[in-house]
Amino acid sequence: MNSLIFAAFSRILFILMLAVSLFVLYRGHNEPGGGFVGGLIAAAGFATLALARGVDVARATLRFEPMTVIGFGILAALLGGLPGLWLDDSFLAHQWAILGSAHIGTTLLFDIGVYLVVLGGILSLILRFYEGL
Amino acid sequence: MLAALLVSFLGAILARFVVSRTFPHGGWVAALLPAGLFLFFLAKGASLPEVGAITETLEWVPALGISLTLRLDGFALLFVLLITGIGTLVTIYAGAYFAHSPKEEAARFLTLILLFMTAMLGTVLSDNLIVMFVFWEATSLLSFMLIGFNSHRAQARKAALQSLIVTGGGGLALFGGILLIGMTLGTFSLSEVAQRATELLASPLAVPAMILIMLGAFTKSAQLPFHFWLPQAMEAPAPASAFLHSATMVKLGVYLLARFDLIFEGIPAFGATLVIVGSLTMLVAAVRALSTDGFKEVLAHSTVGSLGVLVMLIGLDGDYSVTALIAFIIAHALYKAALFFCAGTTIHAVGEGRLSKIGGLARRLPMTTLAAGMAAISMAGLPPTLGFITKEYLFESQLNASSGWVVVAVAVLVNAVFAAIAGVAAIRPYYLGKTRSEVKHPETLGLYLGPLVLGGLGFLFGLAPDFLVRGLIQPANDVLVGHTVDLSFSLWHGFTPMLALSATVVAFAGGLIAYWHRIHYALSLNKGLARVLGDFGFNAAFAGLLRLAERCTRLLQNGDQHRYTSTVAAAVLLIIGYGVLASGTRPVIALTDGRFDMPSVIVLLLMCLGAFAATRTPSLLRAMIAVGVVGFGSALIFLLNGAPDVALTQFSVEVLLVLILVALLLRVPERAASTREPREKRLDILISAGFALVVFVALAATVALPLDGRISDFYAATSYLEAHGRNVVNVVLVDYRAIDTLGEVIVVAFAAMSVWGLLRIMPRRRAAP
Repeated sequence: MNSLIFAAFSRILFILMLAVSLFVLYRGHNEPGGGFVGGLIAAAGFATLALARGVDVARATLRFEPMTVIGFGILAALLGGLPGLWLDDSFLAHQWAILGSAHIGTTLLFDIGVYLVVLGGILSLILRFYEGL
Repeated sequence: MLAALLVSFLGAILARFVVSRTFPHGGWVAALLPAGLFLFFLAKGASLPEVGAITETLEWVPALGISLTLRLDGFALLFVLLITGIGTLVTIYAGAYFAHSPKEEAARFLTLILLFMTAMLGTVLSDNLIVMFVFWEATSLLSFMLIGFNSHRAQARKAALQSLIVTGGGGLALFGGILLIGMTLGTFSLSEVAQRATELLASPLAVPAMILIMLGAFTKSAQLPFHFWLPQAMEAPAPASAFLHSATMVKLGVYLLARFDLIFEGIPAFGATLVIVGSLTMLVAAVRALSTDGFKEVLAHSTVGSLGVLVMLIGLDGDYSVTALIAFIIAHALYKAALFFCAGTTIHAVGEGRLSKIGGLARRLPMTTLAAGMAAISMAGLPPTLGFITKEYLFESQLNASSGWVVVAVAVLVNAVFAAIAGVAAIRPYYLGKTRSEVKHPETLGLYLGPLVLGGLGFLFGLAPDFLVRGLIQPANDVLVGHTVDLSFSLWHGFTPMLALSATVVAFAGGLIAYWHRIHYALSLNKGLARVLGDFGFNAAFAGLLRLAERCTRLLQNGDQHRYTSTVAAAVLLIIGYGVLASGTRPVIALTDGRFDMPSVIVLLLMCLGAFAATRTPSLLRAMIAVGVVGFGSALIFLLNGAPDVALTQFSVEVLLVLILVALLLRVPERAASTREPREKRLDILISAGFALVVFVALAATVALPLDGRISDFYAATSYLEAHGRNVVNVVLVDYRAIDTLGEVIVVAFAAMSVWGLLRIMPRRRAAP
C-alpha cells in the first residue's frame, strides 16, 4: 500500500502493538489476557508492518522464519512442562517461585510458548498470503 | 536385554558418523555392533534351558497396561540370533557394496540397516502386544525407506510406496486384532494371552481378532493376495533385500502366526486357512518365478513361495510340522541371504540384472560362484545340507497331517521349482551364457565373506545337526508345541516315503532346468497371466481410489464459496433437525426468565443491521465493514456478559481479519455484481433462515437448562490458592488443562504448516504433465 502516512505510522503502530501484546501476555494470569490473545495482537502488529511497508520489512523485523517461531513456541511450551516432571513427577505440573508479592511460575514459559506458536502460525499464513497477491 | 536394545538403537544412530569417518572400511567397524549383540544373546541363550524364559520389564504407560516387557524364550532366541547373526554379515557386505559410492550414502544405508535391526529385535523380544506393534510398524517404515533408497528412481519410489501401503494397512488390521484381544482379556501380555487362550476363544470377538491378526501377518509375509509387493521390493539395494526381504522382516508374519498358533488352534478355520493360503501362495510364486528373468526377482518369487511353505506348515496338524517350520526358517535364512548376496555382487559387478544377459563369470568371481553353489545345493534340498533335512521334515509333516495328498503334490511341485531356481541361479550367471560379461567391480573379501559363511553353515548344520538341534531347534520347538518333545534329527532317515518324494523333486527339477528357456519363453508370452498374478489388483484399486478422490474433490471443492457455505449450513441444519425430531423431546424455551438488558439489545440490533447491510450492498468494502460490525458486536456482547477474555480475543481476530481483507481488496474490483439467480437466492434465504432458527432454538434450549456451577466454582475457589492466578480462564488454559492446550497448540502448528505448504508460490504450470 503506497501511503506515506500509513507507512510512517506503521513503525510506531507496530511497536505499540508489540508492547501491548507483551503486556497482555504477562498480565494474563491475573487479568484478562494471555498467550493466545497476545500472540494475535503481535501478529496483527507484524501484519500492519507488512501491509504498510512490504513483506520483506516484516520478515526482516521478525528475523526468523515464521515456521521457526512456531518451533520455538512448541519448544518453550514443552520446556515449561519439564520442571514439573523433574520436581513433581508430573509433566506440566507448574512450579512457582514466590518473591515477596510477585509470583513467578513456569506457566509464563508455557504461555510464551502459546504466544509464539500463535504468532508464528498466523504470520506464516499472512506473509505468504501477501506475497501471493 | 533392555540395555542391549538401547545400545543397538544408539549404536545405529552413531553409525552414521562412525561409518563416514572410517570410509571405505565402515562396514567392518559397524559390524561390531550386531556381532556384539549376537554374542550377548548367544550367552543369554546358553542359560535358557535352565530358566525357561528371561523376562525384563520397564513400566511405560501403566495407566493403559502398556509396559516395555521383553521376553526371551526359545522361539525368540531363534529369531534374535538370525537377526543379529545375518545382521553382522549384512553390515560387512553393505560396507563393501557401497565402497564405490559416496560415503554419505554408505553411512545413511548402514544407519538404516542397523535401525531396522533394532526394530526387528524389539518386535521379536516384546511380550507386550502394543510394544510389539510399535516395533512392527517401525520395521515397515524402515523397509519403506530402504526400498526407496535410490530415491531418484521412479520405480523405487513406487515400489516403496506400494510396500508401505500394503504392510502399513496390514499393520492397522493387526492393531485392531490386538485391541480386540486386549478388550476381551484386559491384558496385552502375549504370554498371559497364551495362558488364557480358552477364555479368549469363548468370546465372540475371538474370530474377528483372528482374522485381523491373519491379515497383518499375510501382508507382512507377502501371502496371497498380498504377495505382489515383495518382488517389487527388489528395488532396494541388494544388502537390504538379503536382510529384510528374505532372511528376517518378511518372516515376521510367520513369527506372529506361529506365536498365535497355540492360541487359535481351537478354531478349526485357522489351520485350514493357513494351509490353503500358504499352498496357493506357493503355486502362484512358482509360476511367477518361472516367468521372470531378473536375478533378484527370481529369488524374490522363490522367497514368496518359501513364506507360503512356512505359513502352510503352521497350519498343518500332526507331528513334525513345528520341527519342519523351525528348521526351514533357519535353512531358508541361510541359503536365501547367501544367494541374495551373490546376486548383489554379480549385478553390481556387471551392471546388469537380467539372467539371460549375464554369463561366464566363474573365473572373474570365483568365491561368489563357490558360495552361490553351496547355497544353491542347500536350497535345492540335496544332501548333505540342512536344506535336505528340512525338506525331509516338510514331506514327513505333510504325510502325517490330515490335509490330504493335494498339499503334498503342491509341495513336490513347488520344491522342484525351488530346486530348479537354485540350479539356474548357481549355474547360469557363472558357467553358461553366450557372452562373457565385463566385470566393473571385482569381488572383495567383504563381498564374499557373508555368502561363504552362510553357504558353509548350510553344509555344517547338515553334516552335524546335533549342535543346532540342542541349541536352537529344541528350545524353539518346546515353546511352540507347549511341552518338551524329543527330537531325532539326522541327515539320513533311511529309505522312507520322504526320500522317494525328494528323488521325485530332483528329477522334476532337472527337467525344469533343462527346459528353463522354453518354459520361460512360453510363460513370458502370456502377459495376461503376469497381470493377474502380479499387482494388477492393487493398481486397479489404487487408481480407483484416486478417481474417487478426484470426483469428491470436483463435487465438494468446486471453487464456489456459495456452495461451500450452503453445504455446511444445510448439513448442520439436517443433522440437528434430525436429532431434535428423532429424540422426540420438545426443546424447552423459557422466555420469561431473566432480565431485559437494554445495552445488549442495542448491540444486537446493530449487529442485525450490519448483517442485513452486508447482504444488500454491491460494494465489497461496505460489505466488509458491515460484517465487521457483526464481529465487533459479538465481542461487545461477550464483554457485556462477563467474558472479557473472549471479547479480547474476538477483537484481535476482527483486527486481523481487517488486515487480511484490506490486502485482498487492493487487488479485487471494488464492486461486484451479484451472480446469483433468483432461484438460487431463494434457496440461500431458506437455508440461512433455517440455520438461524436451529441455532436460536438450540441456544434458547441450552439457556433454559439449569446451569451446573460446580466446576466453575471449583476453579474460582482454587485458582489463586493452588495456581497463583486470578484469571480463571487463563489458569485453566495454562495450568489445569495445560496438556489440552499443548495439544491444541501443536494442532495449530500443524494446521499452519500445511496451509503454509499449500500457499507457497506455485511455479508456472508446466505445458504438459
